[in-house]
Amino acid sequence: MKQFLTAVAAAAFALGAQAADPIKIGVAGPFTGGSSSMGVSMRDGVRLAADEINKSGGVLGRQIQLIERDDEAKNERGVQIAQELINKEKVAATVGYINTGVALASQRFYQDAKIPVMNNVATGSAITLQFKDQPENYVFRNAAHDSIQAPMIVEEAVTRRGFKKVAILADSTNYGQLGRADLEAALKLKGITPVAVEKFNIKDVDMTAQLLKAKEAGAEAVLTYGIGPELAQIANGMTKLGWKVPMIGSWTLSMANYIDNAGPGGEGARMPQTFIQEPTTPKRQSFIINYLKTFNPKNSRMDSPVSAAQGYDSIYLLAAAIKQAGSTEGPKIKAALEDLKTPVEGVVTTYNKPFSKTDHEAITANIPVFGEVKGQRVVYAYPEDFKKASEVRVKDVNAKGAMEQKKRQ
Amino acid sequence: MQILTQLVFSGIALGMIYAVIAFGYQLTFATSDTLNFGQGDALMLGALVGLTLVGLGVNYWLMIPLVCLFGAVQGAVVERIGVRPALKIKSEFGWIMSTIALGIIFKNVAENVWGRDDLKFPSPLPESPMKFLGANVLPMEILVIVGAVGMMLAVEVFNRKSIYGKAVVATFNDRDAAKLMGINTGLVITFSYALSSLSAAFAGVLIAPLTLTGATMGAVLGLKAFAVAIIGGLTSGMGIILGGIILGVAETTTGFYLSTGYKDVPGLVLLLIVLAVKPAGLFGKTAIKKV
Amino acid sequence: MNVKKLVLGAAAIAALAAFPLASGNPYYIHLVETIMIYAIVLFGLDIVVGYTGQVSLGHAGLFGIGAYTAGVLILKLDAPVYVTLPAALAVTAAFGAVLALPALRVTGPYLAMVTLAFGTIVQILINEMTFLTEGPMGITLTKPSLFGHALDETEFYWLVLALLIASLVFVDRVLRSQLGRAFEALRGSPVASDCMGVSVYRYKVYAFVISAALAGLAGSLYAYSEQYISPNTYNFELTVMFLLAVIMGGRKTRTGALLGATIIVLLPKLLDDLQMFRTGAVVLAVIVVASVAVGLKRGKLTKQAAAIPVVGSIALAAVSFKLETMTDWRLSIFGLITLFVVYYLQDGIVGFVRNALNLKTKHERDTTAAKATALTRASGQGQGGNDGELLKANGVLMQFGGLKALNNVDLVVQRGSIHGLIGPNGSGKSTMMNVLTGIYQPTAGSVLFAGTSVTGRTSSDIALSGIARTFQNVQLFGEMTALQNVLVGLHHSFKSNLIDIALHLPRYLREDREQRARAHALLEFVGLESLASEEARNLPYGKQRLLEIARALALDPQLLLLDEPAAGLTAPDIKELLEIIRKIRGAGVTVILIEHHMDVVMSLCDRVSVLDFGQKIAEGLPAEVQANEKVIEAYLGGQAV
Repeated sequence: MKQFLTAVAAAAFALGAQAADPIKIGVAGPFTGGSSSMGVSMRDGVRLAADEINKSGGVLGRQIQLIERDDEAKNERGVQIAQELINKEKVAATVGYINTGVALASQRFYQDAKIPVMNNVATGSAITLQFKDQPENYVFRNAAHDSIQAPMIVEEAVTRRGFKKVAILADSTNYGQLGRADLEAALKLKGITPVAVEKFNIKDVDMTAQLLKAKEAGAEAVLTYGIGPELAQIANGMTKLGWKVPMIGSWTLSMANYIDNAGPGGEGARMPQTFIQEPTTPKRQSFIINYLKTFNPKNSRMDSPVSAAQGYDSIYLLAAAIKQAGSTEGPKIKAALEDLKTPVEGVVTTYNKPFSKTDHEAITANIPVFGEVKGQRVVYAYPEDFKKASEVRVKDVNAKGAMEQKKRQ
Repeated sequence: MQILTQLVFSGIALGMIYAVIAFGYQLTFATSDTLNFGQGDALMLGALVGLTLVGLGVNYWLMIPLVCLFGAVQGAVVERIGVRPALKIKSEFGWIMSTIALGIIFKNVAENVWGRDDLKFPSPLPESPMKFLGANVLPMEILVIVGAVGMMLAVEVFNRKSIYGKAVVATFNDRDAAKLMGINTGLVITFSYALSSLSAAFAGVLIAPLTLTGATMGAVLGLKAFAVAIIGGLTSGMGIILGGIILGVAETTTGFYLSTGYKDVPGLVLLLIVLAVKPAGLFGKTAIKKV
Repeated sequence: MNVKKLVLGAAAIAALAAFPLASGNPYYIHLVETIMIYAIVLFGLDIVVGYTGQVSLGHAGLFGIGAYTAGVLILKLDAPVYVTLPAALAVTAAFGAVLALPALRVTGPYLAMVTLAFGTIVQILINEMTFLTEGPMGITLTKPSLFGHALDETEFYWLVLALLIASLVFVDRVLRSQLGRAFEALRGSPVASDCMGVSVYRYKVYAFVISAALAGLAGSLYAYSEQYISPNTYNFELTVMFLLAVIMGGRKTRTGALLGATIIVLLPKLLDDLQMFRTGAVVLAVIVVASVAVGLKRGKLTKQAAAIPVVGSIALAAVSFKLETMTDWRLSIFGLITLFVVYYLQDGIVGFVRNALNLKTKHERDTTAAKATALTRASGQGQGGNDGELLKANGVLMQFGGLKALNNVDLVVQRGSIHGLIGPNGSGKSTMMNVLTGIYQPTAGSVLFAGTSVTGRTSSDIALSGIARTFQNVQLFGEMTALQNVLVGLHHSFKSNLIDIALHLPRYLREDREQRARAHALLEFVGLESLASEEARNLPYGKQRLLEIARALALDPQLLLLDEPAAGLTAPDIKELLEIIRKIRGAGVTVILIEHHMDVVMSLCDRVSVLDFGQKIAEGLPAEVQANEKVIEAYLGGQAV
């Protein structure tokens, strides 16, 4: 019965299909739930890029078809979706993963199936290292991984703003815990031990206990690794306790649901960003204009500018690789990615040979800048960064500031 | 010491919320031997409807009676669709599953209407804490305690002094006899469900400014309130206030001294222990069933 | 097992086994695998929900414990599959026991809440105990290895299939045995069950522990199947899905469990794929309209009852064409389906189809040939206490609040006699019965039966020590046949345990045969032999009362308490009853008889005690008591003329 229905559906689809087979690209991310502002922005950036490419003739004369699936930020959903995209939809490649845990749980299916994954938002350092020891590694990334972000956060808190006593508040997911480990390692390099290290769960609302412990320990700043809703609760908790210290944390402090839910208490939070919604170059300007026109977000503010920009870039990177490979076979796309011959002009940066056989990270430590929550938006924290923003920062393998990427516990 | 005072205050405020919801369980149990497994979702809907009204510009204090009205209607709907048919066929499984199903439906509808993100509920009172015995107490927390106790007192007085109260007791003791005496037991049961959801919705708008409002806020609250109802005893009003305080303080202290992840555990474990040892609750009366 | 069922079953198994080879697509193989795993859980859940009638909201938690036992053993100890599967089964059964022991002392909504609390606690503990479970980060697994060979997708599928069949056979055997009857009995009438020596509490616990074991086994298979486990999965939503599957598929049937599992696995997939969902909804609407039309034609459905499923399924199809994405509304759809099933499809789809196609649940025509004597133990009695006095109640006080239902009552019953207990309504006769059988604990006073005290013991304990009873309001196990009712009374004679039953060892098979023979003999004793395969609720009232007596006699009692056995009987039935009671006394059983029919009391009783307002006002030979002034006054009220 099932076979029959599939046949009917397939026939119906074939009747309405384009002349040539489309290229299927999977899009996996959280489109609902606490991480959804990142997921939806990523998906919208992806859609924008796919549309643009399709309008100008597609890739290899074929249209890109996006197969989107909502993983709800749940690791087990990610696993099921990976199997579905690989075995049922038979995608050529997948972009996505917002949540580190979901990525880590799901990627091995793509690795086994020899299908490339372009992580466009998830930042856990371990993600691209999962299959490092295997001869071929199918996991790529165009986001700023935590071995870059953690030292940046520490640099900002300890060196630039002179806080010696810091507390770490991280969520209990893979993202939070791996990020916390990265923060502790980065602090250690500066000879500092955090005065308090606290954990909270997704959906937690009352952060009083953790904040009180940090306060009692004399923390001068709170370093965070979490996502929007809980980060907002940290800010609100601080207001409630009447204890306001600076919040410096990972890039997720730019999420719309953090800014909106933290209200005035959220202002001043700082985080590394690969992209800030400012038209600082012609490419960025046209991206912002097109995005706002197509998706019309509230207050003309992208819910997660970084996710949107990186999502957009991830499609262009894949398209370039497929074009160069002249095929949609996984191993060939991978080989092309590792040796991209023509530069790809993206929103975040211009990608000039972004990947090699051993290096699957497109972003290096010199690319991200610091953003700050001000006036309910994310702006450049440092005016000099804003002034120089029109100079596109490109990947520099010798850039200083990153830690050695390690699989930490 | 200051921290302990802080935790105790937060615990009492939290416990009062549980008590108000537990109160709702008592109301329906008293008349119909049934409970609304979607009680937490009634609270959630109250909070979200309140949020929308406040967003439309309605003043917080004016919004409260409107939300109460909504809660009453919602409770009546639950009774009509979920409980009444089950009572008719005398199926316990029936009303348990149907109140659960209704709760799930309400939650899903709320998710689609208000979105899956948690939203901030503007507080009617200043958000800066006051100093009380050396600890920080939010004015909103005080409002919660006052509101909760007020609501329960109001219903208790209504029960004792009014003919409705007597009708409730009669219906609980012997539904068929009450019917024969001319009491419209169906209406009494519907009314008790309406009142129960009303108090849950009221609790919702009380607690919403203290936490985030969202489609998922009701689930665990409903369960813990049930723990309070059991600990206090499904027949004793005083019991739930005490039960609420015990649970609230246990929670905040566990959250601090042990770990926030475990804060829900004491309430649930307490529930299991009380049910194992004294199912009528710490303050309830054990009823003997006649064969 | 009849041949048609066997052939269908074999065909189904063959089809399932061939599926992975036919399909070759790991995605679909995995899907069917998940259905089979869920079905194992549902077999167990059906025992608890379908048979014993308890609502458990914690089975997702038990499922999770099974999964995590396997996961943790693999993570920490690299344990092989023949360790993890049994370990998961055992650990989950243990958790089930720990939960059941306190939880099953309460019923209905309390139990539901307790199991819900348990499920929540399990989820929290798995989430927080990161040192053991890795918490939210989850545990990654690979498919197991058997004999050094790593199973691939298809081979693991066959392992799951084998375990599914094993579980099915196990559950089937258990439910056909005395255990299954005990489960149904405690649901049919808990009071009667206790008084027949089947301790309601104990068997609820057994049922729960068995279902926990199955859930644990399924959980460990699930871990291998998904190759990744995290605490999120084992939440309230999953529990509700399991319950929905059981009631939607159909309670008390294995097919129902399989059907239910299929629905809950495929439905979300259907909702994801809008095209498929629309097709499916239209197909469903067509099927519903067709079967409703058949049902209407055969006169089985009223127009009113038919309208709702028709309207519902057509509305569903219509809505599916209107909405762009159904996944967002997935839970509402499940909620609505649950409501629908709870009220309109109480027997589930399997039950609905059976009704519509007029397939009644065939109770096996029991063809036990062996003969046996009905009443065995009674004649060989005589131990304990004063040989003459079988029952001695002293100063019994039963007080409910301010009301003294029994006020300082003494009662002595001689062995081998028929002792009448009479009095106006509300005088305390049934209360006395309830005290004697442990349903009430007396506020004061003592009751000695054959020298040992009765007070403070449970009803089932008292029943097993030799006191049996019938009830004023007939408390038969309605959905069971007359034979099965009596078999419940014979429960105490079954000594075989779970292993004997599961493997159909000779000891069990022999016992089953012997007890069935005895049950037939007992039915014959009360003249109901020809109605052995009739459902008890379908028997005429008079026959039901006789059945209760047969069931009570199955306990081999020394003392039989009859509570108004003649109430509602016609004159010829009463004559039959008198005969039977005399035969009972002839077999050496002592009888206490509560009756209002004076002629019955006069003709049968050796001695009569009279109660009024909880106090004994007279005692003696029937004729003496009949003439006693106080007795006349009590019955007629006011002065005797």
